[in-house]
Amino acid sequence: MLKVSREEILDGKFERVLNFFRSRSLWMLYYCTGCGAVELPPTMTSRFDMERFGIGPMATPRQADILLVTGYVSVKTLKRIVRSYEQMPEPKWVVGFGSCPVNGGIYWKSYATINQLDRYIPVDLSLNGCMPRPQAVIDGFVNLMEMIKKGEAVGYKKYRLNYEWYKRNQAEVLERTEPVLRPGIASVAKAQETKKKISIVEGVK
Amino acid sequence: MLLSVVKVLGHAFFVMAVGLLFMGIGRRFSARFHRRYGPPVWQSYIDVIKCFSRKSISHHWIMDMGSVMGLAGLVAAAMFLPVGRYLPFQSTGPIIVILYLMPIGYLGMAMGVSASGNPLASIGIGRALTLMLGYEVPFATIVLCMIAAFNSTSLVALGQAQQAGFLSWNIITMPFGFVAGIIALQAMLAEKPFDTMIAPSEIASGPMVELSGKFLGLAFLQHSVGIFIETGLIVTLFLGGGPGIGLFILKQFLVYMLSLAINAIFARYRVEQATKFLWFTAGGLAFIQLVINMYLRSGTI
Amino acid sequence: MARKLRKLLAGVTVNERYGNRMELVTDGQRAVSTLVVLKSSGFEHLSNITCVDWIDENRMDVTYNLWSYTHRLHAVIKAQTHRDAPEVSTALDIWPQAQVYEREIHEMFGVEFTGNPDLSPLFLHNWRDIPPLRKDFDTEEYSRRAYGVVDGVEEAGV
Repeated sequence: MLKVSREEILDGKFERVLNFFRSRSLWMLYYCTGCGAVELPPTMTSRFDMERFGIGPMATPRQADILLVTGYVSVKTLKRIVRSYEQMPEPKWVVGFGSCPVNGGIYWKSYATINQLDRYIPVDLSLNGCMPRPQAVIDGFVNLMEMIKKGEAVGYKKYRLNYEWYKRNQAEVLERTEPVLRPGIASVAKAQETKKKISIVEGVK
Repeated sequence: MLLSVVKVLGHAFFVMAVGLLFMGIGRRFSARFHRRYGPPVWQSYIDVIKCFSRKSISHHWIMDMGSVMGLAGLVAAAMFLPVGRYLPFQSTGPIIVILYLMPIGYLGMAMGVSASGNPLASIGIGRALTLMLGYEVPFATIVLCMIAAFNSTSLVALGQAQQAGFLSWNIITMPFGFVAGIIALQAMLAEKPFDTMIAPSEIASGPMVELSGKFLGLAFLQHSVGIFIETGLIVTLFLGGGPGIGLFILKQFLVYMLSLAINAIFARYRVEQATKFLWFTAGGLAFIQLVINMYLRSGTI
Repeated sequence: MARKLRKLLAGVTVNERYGNRMELVTDGQRAVSTLVVLKSSGFEHLSNITCVDWIDENRMDVTYNLWSYTHRLHAVIKAQTHRDAPEVSTALDIWPQAQVYEREIHEMFGVEFTGNPDLSPLFLHNWRDIPPLRKDFDTEEYSRRAYGVVDGVEEAGV
């Protein structure tokens, strides 16, 4: 499991002084991965103004503080998200938008989307909802600012210290060499039997 | 000797601080145009401190040198601009020196950014330098107008020649030059409609695409010093140059707000459209002003 | 039109459906010749190629949708093949847009299109299992094993 947990690496006093400034001017990378990106324009524009907190859009990973993962993450997108995350300079934070990065959302049965983003990159804040309303988004960002000021948002240090664990999880999804299911359930009867067995097991649970 | 070094450094920090304050007030002002509240006015200071507190990634030693050169060129140009009859060291405030120190800033940034190897940065630099080629034509023509009218290149003398009350300001006596100057100012500040240089959704913010941490902080400071110099030039050339520092900064602020108001309304020109507009429309107005100055008002006022 | 086609194509069942639609049922080897005959009879536009997996009847249907601008008629051609080794000749030479459809069906169902030079995968990244849109592929089980399951949280009063 994780070698270093989150409670051991909270920020010290000098970092807290800098965190005061960092929390007041967060720049987001609009990596709009999934369907959740549609809730970002209402949050940015005139009605639910997000710029009054100092949060603004930035175009490249090199300039941004926050990586916003909005919506479901397919395997191809995961490879690019990991690359963008590793390109960002520290300190950096990841916000998981919507239910899909938390536990798979409405796509949890799909063979193409991952279920739990926290195993592959460290997520600092999760916003529930499918999609969260702009009021919920702003509430989440205010919470993130509080966390940064208190020194609790240390996902980037966790990534650096637990690097092998994260890389192993990523390799398990991205560089698969063996089939996941038993090879070829070829007949109908066997497939139905397997389904019955699984449902019995689930019913007992 | 030590006192003059302190005076120069103090003036440099003062210029940066005023430029950042303008940027902060400007963001709040444009937000009110969009019918929303904006960030607080000291937001730009927080942005710069945050940029310097991050780790930065440098690709080459030329990138470090280029970013510092960018800021240094503009700060050197700011030393020669008379802020309401105050200069950090004795000089006559020559326009020509300012005109050739400013491009050192942009060329330094271009050198630093293209050392990173990102092709988007090269496209952004190409557009920025083409735009610079565009705005230099009307601006140099305006400088020639001033030389033709006042027979001197000294900004201090220009400021003093406009002290005889409101009606002697050059905005009244040279209206075409003023309009050409405002159009050239939009291009110098990289505000819409001439902001293809930054263009966030097209080329991922152009020249700043690989800058992180302290390099981005230096780019911000360079932009703020650029705001100070360019609005200061327009104020000295056309708006009378102010008898004191406070009035000078107030006039600069009004010019910057005018430029932001134009920014909030217009869309973005392409590079070739922008250059054509700057050369023929703005350059044409400045040329008319030059002809008027040379033949109808020859000699000093 | 249906009568004309019945005369031209021996061994192919032609049914007339409602409105201006008709349905032709053939098998995998004769699909391409049927398509050529239909194209020369006035069905110029290939709208779609898709596939249906009849697991109980142990066959797969590769379905072509054709539309004729001149006669305003719609035709559905179902090419039936065996489920364990499905094989259909490619329609690439008749309509070049069939390339993308055939690539997708090959990736998702496992149908082999003989004569198609490039059947590389489009969507799936590093895929080692059986083609995923087949009916005997248990997608919930795959998601559970590959990506893990997050336990639900007990809410008070829910």
